[in-house]
Amino acid sequence: MLSQLVNLLENKKDGLSLFEISRLMNAQPSAVRAMLELLVQKGRLAEVGPDGKVCAACGLESNCQLLALKGKRYVVCG
Amino acid sequence: MTTTLFRLDYGGKLEREISRIIESFSEFQIDTGRYPQRWLAIKLLEADADILTHIRAMPNGEQVISLAAQSAEKLKSMLGDDVDMLIADRRYGFINGVVRQSLHRPHLDRITLTDRIDDIVTHKWLGLPIFFAMMYVMFRLVIDVSAPFLDWTDAVITGPVAGWFSLLLDLVSAPAWMHSLVVEAVIGGVGGVLVFVPGLLILYFFLALLEDSGYMSRAAFVMDRFMRVVGLHGKSFIPMILGFGCAVPAIYATRTIASRRDRILTALLVPLMSCSARLPVYVVFGLAFFGARAGTVIWAMYALGIVVAMLAGMVFTRTILKPDASSAFVLELPPYRQPALKSVLIHMWENTREFVRKAGTVILLASLVMWILLNFPWGVTDKRDSYFGQVSGAIAPAFSPLGFGDWQTSGALVTGFMAKEIVVSTLSQIYINANGGVEAAKPTTFGEDLAGIGLGFMDAAVNSGEILLSIIPGVDLVDEEAEAQDTILSRALREHFTPLSTMALLVFVLLYVPCVATLGAIKHEFGMSWAVISAVYQTAVAWIAAFLLYQGGLLLGFG
Repeated sequence: MLSQLVNLLENKKDGLSLFEISRLMNAQPSAVRAMLELLVQKGRLAEVGPDGKVCAACGLESNCQLLALKGKRYVVCG
Repeated sequence: MTTTLFRLDYGGKLEREISRIIESFSEFQIDTGRYPQRWLAIKLLEADADILTHIRAMPNGEQVISLAAQSAEKLKSMLGDDVDMLIADRRYGFINGVVRQSLHRPHLDRITLTDRIDDIVTHKWLGLPIFFAMMYVMFRLVIDVSAPFLDWTDAVITGPVAGWFSLLLDLVSAPAWMHSLVVEAVIGGVGGVLVFVPGLLILYFFLALLEDSGYMSRAAFVMDRFMRVVGLHGKSFIPMILGFGCAVPAIYATRTIASRRDRILTALLVPLMSCSARLPVYVVFGLAFFGARAGTVIWAMYALGIVVAMLAGMVFTRTILKPDASSAFVLELPPYRQPALKSVLIHMWENTREFVRKAGTVILLASLVMWILLNFPWGVTDKRDSYFGQVSGAIAPAFSPLGFGDWQTSGALVTGFMAKEIVVSTLSQIYINANGGVEAAKPTTFGEDLAGIGLGFMDAAVNSGEILLSIIPGVDLVDEEAEAQDTILSRALREHFTPLSTMALLVFVLLYVPCVATLGAIKHEFGMSWAVISAVYQTAVAWIAAFLLYQGGLLLGFG
């Protein structure tokens, strides 16, 4: 499942959101969220904001209004 | 009934290494104690920090750890990934398999509550009226519910707080000019703006509710059709929604838009969205002239901002910002969720704190500068002869056709270039001083002041609660006479304005030159020329709109 998820994101330059990934993998968002968290923790994926910048580089975190409106996207690191 | 211990099969290669580590426990006489050997072996393969520490503390523990590390390396070279990832992958694969085999969702389950709500709120014809109705209800609530607290804050600042400062200055035998500086500049200027904190708290509370519930994305979706009229798409409406809070982050939020032309156009339209700094101006004039209908007037200002943005967008699209190849609008609509109270309160507090911080810095500084300009040349008795009065008087004729050609308003509008709230603090300084300053209260003790503040707060809370309940059809708890509380500024404004000239002024404040921070953001993102264009076109549009409203109103006999 994890490798399938990483493969799915490998060709997506702008990344995918949690719900897009869930739809494409035909899996529940709650299950996909846990996988995404693990992959981000392991440095395989990065969370990016709606402007394409990596969330970890921005100090706003939970205060980001854009994220609240549009949600995070995930891209493959490197 | 008998039960068997479940064991997840991790596959041949992984299982072989797990068995090898389990065997090493006996070989090196490792006492696994309460831990199952298989679990311990898997944790060693995953290099779990706590388990490594636990095993390392045992005799021969290092040998077992070394063996587990060799196994992990071997597996990595064979399977091409870290062992912990391989193990997690197997677990998720197993879970997914179980879910697929055991969970069957009937087709109907796919239509969620979110889908049902979206069918209505994003409906082709209903979506927009619902959006405007929600904005209307929100602003009515903001104005009506906050009004008793606004009166309370005003009474506290101009009553006990002003009294305490005066007493303190008397105690240190401060000169008269110091009294004037503190009472007019600090209390009149900064206090005049701080009065609106209750209203902003409620505004940010509702904005946070709309954001956290997931409705804001729907608003962008609903507006997409209209944004296309101006050569943009719904994505541009998101910065515009943020512009209702503050235009500066909204300008930076245009970075989410791919096309530079779309970004520039959005940035030129964002300042037309009525930011929270304009709210004090609307509230002061709205409550002074329109009483119970102030909420409707304020809502009309927000709606007018959107309409003018559409019209301005159409003009730009046909002139200096012709559309390039249109890109598809893909906006994810997250499921609706119940807003978390903690998150809403944090959002509300952080935005209001920023307003209070600005009152303590920019507005305080501006109030002090204003005080100097209003009192120099030193000893000037008529403020019209002060430096501020002279400069304001020189530009006042430009505003005469708009219905507010007096030096006080002209000067206040110029100071609003620094930050829109300063319009109110400037008017407070001018008019409160002209009307004899902050009302002298009966001498009271500190304890009486505190009791009065507490009782006033409780009164305001009860009044707000009654107003809130009166929103329910059929419930009317509001005493109309109790609503008609007045501030010193309201009384002074009614001597200088008519309802028509007030409307013209509100339209001008809504549309005229963005504040210096917003222009700075536009310059930073797009260059000086676009900042200049923004300032010039908005001021021109504001002047024309206020002119048409005022002169049209006079022609129709509303003067």
